[in-house]
Amino acid sequence: MSRLRNWLLIAVVVSATGAASDAAAQGSSLAPSDRTAKSSVPAEVLVVLAKEEEGEIDPQLKKLTALRRPPFNSFRSMKILSRPKVTLTPGKDALVSLPNGRRLKLTLLRVMPDGRYKVRAAINRPDKADYLPLLQVVASAGDPFFVAGQAYQGGTLVVGVIVDPQKNAK
Amino acid sequence: MESPKTQDEQLQLLFDGELAPEEEAAVRRGIEGSEEDLAQLRQWSRLRAAMKSASAERAGQIDSDALFARIEAEIGAPADAAPLQREPLQKAAAVQPTPLRAVPGRRERRIWAAVATGFAAAAAVLLAVVSWPSEPTVDSASAVRGSEVVEVDFGGNTGTIFEVEGGAGESLAVVWIDEEEVAIP
Repeated sequence: MSRLRNWLLIAVVVSATGAASDAAAQGSSLAPSDRTAKSSVPAEVLVVLAKEEEGEIDPQLKKLTALRRPPFNSFRSMKILSRPKVTLTPGKDALVSLPNGRRLKLTLLRVMPDGRYKVRAAINRPDKADYLPLLQVVASAGDPFFVAGQAYQGGTLVVGVIVDPQKNAK
Repeated sequence: MESPKTQDEQLQLLFDGELAPEEEAAVRRGIEGSEEDLAQLRQWSRLRAAMKSASAERAGQIDSDALFARIEAEIGAPADAAPLQREPLQKAAAVQPTPLRAVPGRRERRIWAAVATGFAAAAAVLLAVVSWPSEPTVDSASAVRGSEVVEVDFGGNTGTIFEVEGGAGESLAVVWIDEEEVAIP
């Protein structure tokens, strides 16, 4: 009967091991993981012309309280020049033309284990690397990151990028 | 004449294929015509075949409760109790009072050690399942807010990285690069 008992024990261990693998597989299917992103995500680019001269702050920017804090608090007027929406697809560049002739290039790299998006950005003139060759940012859905400092029409361009703007948009 | 206990043990050893050839031949001759012994062997064979089949299947298809119950029934059964699926031996017990599960002490200890090892392994696996680091849920993902710079190359320019507080207190990344105004091509 010893072999029969061995089979019983093997069955118990196999059963428990199978349960473990099933649980692991189930867990990996429930949440985002640290792997290359496989699906597209919408994004919004906010192109703002900010000036130190007294003027109007675009009402659409009032919810972006970050633009009233340093280093932006020296600006007395802000005007939205464009607000294009793009779709970030893994491995595919999304291009946004800026008013100064440069182009903002955005690429979705991956979804981080904590659910944030890792995005690569670059701002340059076509076929040039004259301004911002490379920027990698991780951002949670709806939370922007900004690239500012380009001089334009006597002011400064403030470019905000919001990934997945439909979620937690502020 | 062999005692019933020894005969039962030999039957088990025969079933397990652990007898020397000459012993096996002797035991086989001894059980010829013994319907009880042959029925016992068939019973064990069916049980073993069922276990082989069950362990070959995926774990989710195994009725682990039944397995544990069967193990407990075989181990914990008192000497005068008939284990599950052994009805033919009840008749045999009436004639030969020695129960099937009566085995020498050393063998009993080996069985207990093997069973304990099996339970320990199962417990370890279950513990690993319980303590398996779970992936972040939607709630935990949404708890991480803000944006931050991972890498930046300012090229030929100079720049500064700021952290600005957002409306919900989250930290937002700002990359500031000073430059002269460029001409529109």
